[in-house]
Amino acid sequence: MRTLSGSLLLTFRELWAMRLTQGILLVSTLAWLFLSFAMNLDVVEGSLAAVRIFGLESTPSDMIKDAETGEWVRQAVSVDKFVVGINSFVFGASYFLGTLLGLFATMPLIRGFLEQGRIDLLISKPVSRNQLLSGHLLGVVLTVLVLASYLVGGVWVALSLKTGVWFTHVLMSIPLIVIMFTVMYSVILTVTVMTRSNGLALILAYGLIFISAIMAAHEQILPVLSPTAKTAFNTMYHLLPNFVEVVIIQAQLVTGEAVASWYSLISSILFGAVIYGLGFIWFNRRDF
Amino acid sequence: MTDFAITTHQLAKTYSSGFGKKAIHALKGVDLEVGHGEIVGILGPNGAGKTTLLKILLGVVSPTSGTGTLLGRPIGDVKSRHRLGYLPENHRFPPYLTARQTLDVYGRLSRLDDATLKERIPMLIEEAGLSSWIDTRVGKFSKGMMQRLGLAQAMINDPDVLVLDEPTDGVDPVGRREIRDRLRLLKARGKTILINSHLLTEIELLCDRVAILNRGEIVQVGSIDDISGSQSGWRIECRSLQSGFDLSNFGASLEGPDHESGIIVPSGSLDNLNALIDHLRQANGQIVSVERHRRSLEAGFLDIIDREEKS
Repeated sequence: MRTLSGSLLLTFRELWAMRLTQGILLVSTLAWLFLSFAMNLDVVEGSLAAVRIFGLESTPSDMIKDAETGEWVRQAVSVDKFVVGINSFVFGASYFLGTLLGLFATMPLIRGFLEQGRIDLLISKPVSRNQLLSGHLLGVVLTVLVLASYLVGGVWVALSLKTGVWFTHVLMSIPLIVIMFTVMYSVILTVTVMTRSNGLALILAYGLIFISAIMAAHEQILPVLSPTAKTAFNTMYHLLPNFVEVVIIQAQLVTGEAVASWYSLISSILFGAVIYGLGFIWFNRRDF
Repeated sequence: MTDFAITTHQLAKTYSSGFGKKAIHALKGVDLEVGHGEIVGILGPNGAGKTTLLKILLGVVSPTSGTGTLLGRPIGDVKSRHRLGYLPENHRFPPYLTARQTLDVYGRLSRLDDATLKERIPMLIEEAGLSSWIDTRVGKFSKGMMQRLGLAQAMINDPDVLVLDEPTDGVDPVGRREIRDRLRLLKARGKTILINSHLLTEIELLCDRVAILNRGEIVQVGSIDDISGSQSGWRIECRSLQSGFDLSNFGASLEGPDHESGIIVPSGSLDNLNALIDHLRQANGQIVSVERHRRSLEAGFLDIIDREEKS
């Protein structure tokens, strides 16, 4: 535990020194201050009569088909639907932007950790290499957990207090963000350990996210592919992380629907586990 | 406890840079034994394998073949590093940490508890002469201060074995003397110290024994006298000496190419020295100084390396 605390302290202090955590905490605070004070909601009998942002009023409404006349008419949005909409936006943005920025921002951390003159000193301590790398990884993941909880939790509390609607299932977004960040960080960590090239690591991680966006449309793409291309596409779909498709799980969690399939999340976790395995094996064998 | 703090047996390391590239034999079967409480210096030209040897002992680099022990445990074993302190060459402490935080982090990694850290950190910082900088970020430290902090870090766990890679690199003469004094103090406390340094004068002033590495092999191990050739005697500085003056009757020789150079007289009887001085005076030579002469470690080291290169 002593050695782990040393590794964690090193990672936390580095993240703090990089001003990354402060920046995200500031943005998160602004987000829920905005929801708390800049946005005012007029709720009438469970429906949103008006929304005022910085004093400017708007009347959100849905077009619905009247059952009796068959005509399209405007109807006030229900508070539940409004909350789900805000939640979906905030959590979707946190998922994509948070992960992309998080990967970019934590990238120098592993490079610094592996720097000559620093890694050799760390290894010379009575700590196994596995413990050293685990400590680094745990520090990064715990920081992401705290930041995601602060942003998502803060927005959730602010919105719930405002509307009186407490959708606790939206908090499931937090572990989802942390898990998928950890999966994608496996690429950064392993590629940097193997090549010491941060740039390559980031290109590969972002490349995989881009590929996952294509693979998310596999149901539309597969029918137009040749048998060989179909096999190749399917193999990639099952082997690589399904970062974009996990958004569907997140949307279902945020809206309170039952999750139709956990496959994209499970296959992504397996991908991360394999890549971390490779990274740890390489780190153990490598000369510094 | 074994007889030696450090042993290596036929330790070899080959770096293969990649497919089709030539392999680099950094170490070729190194045998070394360092006794408890000894200060041993590792000398060698650049690329001789000195840092590789130290890194193998610390588990930072794995040997291609061969074995070794550190405090009775196989090298590479995590437990062998419990009582070890290491100062790497060009160490890079995270610049955002203060001196206190640096020692705290590396102390934790050395498995020290809070009470021990609380006691040792201020003590080591004071010994390093950094008390007024204890809460300053190390990014603001000069090279010399970083080196002193590095040494404090290496001693955070009160180690039995200290491995120092260029400990006085970038340190001014006063700082070097302080580091030397501290290392002597540690030797007096029974610590074993292995030093890799390019500064031969440092090695000469500190070490009990020296191991010379060249092209991955240990070419000589011995005391400073063994390495320097132990040719003590006298050096006479004499001016106005005529060319062609014969020194051979006294076993003496000129230090340099001309007669303005010093005259080196090998150790022997004082009568011989005085007879030579008389002879010089009779030849109207002006004696400027007569001093004890000892061949430097550098001269001995260079001789050994030259010999090795020629063979």
